[in-house]
Amino acid sequence: MRKRLTLASVLSSVLMIAFTLLTIIPLAWMILSAFKPHALIVRYPLALPLSWYVDNFVLSWTQGHLGIYFINSTIYSFVATLLTVFFALSSGYALSKFPYKSSRVISLIYTLGLLITVHSVIVPLFIMETKLGISNTRLGVILPYIAFGLPFQVFLATTYIKGIPDAMQESAIIDGATFFQVFFRILIPVATPIISTMFIYTFLGNWNEFILVLTLTSDLTVRSLPVGINSFAGGMSRDYGLQFAALVIGTVPMIIFYLVFKDKIAQGFAAGALKE
Amino acid sequence: MTFSQQKRMSYYAFLAPGLLLFASIIIFPVAYSLTLSFTSFGGYGTPKFIGLENYAKIISDDVFLHSLRNNLLIVAISVFGQIPLGFLLAYLLHRKMVRNGDFYQTIIFLPITISPVVVALLWNQIFSSSGMVVALIRRLTGESQYVIRIFEDKQLAILPILFVLLWMHTGTYMIIFYANLQKMTPSLLEAAQIDGANESQMMMRIILPSMVGTIATTAIFAISGSLKAFDLIYAMTGGGPAHFTEVIAIYMYINTFKYYKYGFGSAASMIIVLLAVGLILLLQYISRKFERRFE
Repeated sequence: MRKRLTLASVLSSVLMIAFTLLTIIPLAWMILSAFKPHALIVRYPLALPLSWYVDNFVLSWTQGHLGIYFINSTIYSFVATLLTVFFALSSGYALSKFPYKSSRVISLIYTLGLLITVHSVIVPLFIMETKLGISNTRLGVILPYIAFGLPFQVFLATTYIKGIPDAMQESAIIDGATFFQVFFRILIPVATPIISTMFIYTFLGNWNEFILVLTLTSDLTVRSLPVGINSFAGGMSRDYGLQFAALVIGTVPMIIFYLVFKDKIAQGFAAGALKE
Repeated sequence: MTFSQQKRMSYYAFLAPGLLLFASIIIFPVAYSLTLSFTSFGGYGTPKFIGLENYAKIISDDVFLHSLRNNLLIVAISVFGQIPLGFLLAYLLHRKMVRNGDFYQTIIFLPITISPVVVALLWNQIFSSSGMVVALIRRLTGESQYVIRIFEDKQLAILPILFVLLWMHTGTYMIIFYANLQKMTPSLLEAAQIDGANESQMMMRIILPSMVGTIATTAIFAISGSLKAFDLIYAMTGGGPAHFTEVIAIYMYINTFKYYKYGFGSAASMIIVLLAVGLILLLQYISRKFERRFE
């Protein structure tokens, strides 16, 4: 058995190593370049930095207003994610544990919502937000984040809550608990595993979101990190050192986030494909 | 309030916040967008109804047709590149063909966490005339003056984009297939092995047939994801040179927010929706045929 597999396992290792190098080398190059001044990056792209030149980070942080973008990204990601997960859980509870016919229609509507892309609503959304006076505000970003997060999260919550036995809640109801008490005291504690998956998956999507912030905001005080980093390309600065530093600032927190929560992120993606 | 009334009220209260947001931010705007697509609305005044004129203009526009071609190329690289490669990697990991599988898996899945904008700018640097690729070619060939400006070449500029899409998403499909392979009952494979089936027979007769459903679902992901492609290309080339790397989403964005043609832009976004639905229906038709063949 082992002998027959030798050639196959060598080829497999070669393939795996190739993919691994293809991921690591660009990121390593990015990090090393961030410590080189512009002239050195352009003249000697492959050279190692001569010293740990940190001015790039300082300048890109201050000139690129990355501080405020970082704060905004944090606010958007936390607030929108918390609300998305909370609303998705309450919807999931209603759709899986209440015996009303309308729940089937509502589930179907959310499923169709999975196919709607941001682009198909961005024009009217922009017009509506301008009329309501919430374009260029944090609220105007958070609301669409929640709405677009809902379809998939409702699906995850409904599937999970369906699997929780009815007996627990029924005895609580007989003892006189309200449905809200059941939801907060029984359901949420039992659903913790799926809640963390939902939270981390949604957070990741919100943190990296680009087009909504790009179109619905124009003031730098409400823009987020991806839009801020994008302004390092072209117009604003032709200093590659600053650009690489900005890329590192955008990447490193996410790599740490990934290494901590990798399994949860994988679960979120895999759950989507286990649909049928 | 009776118990059954209380129950019904709770049901509505649990659903209300989500539905309210979903209806006002997704359902209503989709209908609004559809209506706008039949008008020449430009941002002020009353929208003027012009029937299908926007759609007629779009489908006879060379820039749109090239964007459509690019979108289809992206669909193709997803369905015929990312999915098979992701499956292959997942299969090798699942069959424990390599040591340190967990390490490879962690690294190959990593690009999914990095913002598409960051990915775009990074690879833009890598492929630029002062980037890593040119420097490596100079080092390897010894030609110190070699240069290629791939992003200025109308025909070739799409290639780095397709490559980066493959780089970003192959790991995602690997993770999805890996999770599904883990769920297969091992007894089936063991029995086949005892009966003397070889690797390729097990692959063709057992593993692939049981994965048809997952492959179809991932293909739906890939198609709708491909038609959404915006961030990466917008940040990498902005659609240039001369519209040659534009996709429909960028075409829509430029017409709407640069030229203020709201009606026209809405029509373009409706075309994205129609294309997604059409391709997904086609895919379901094909996968149903496959499932029947394996039964």
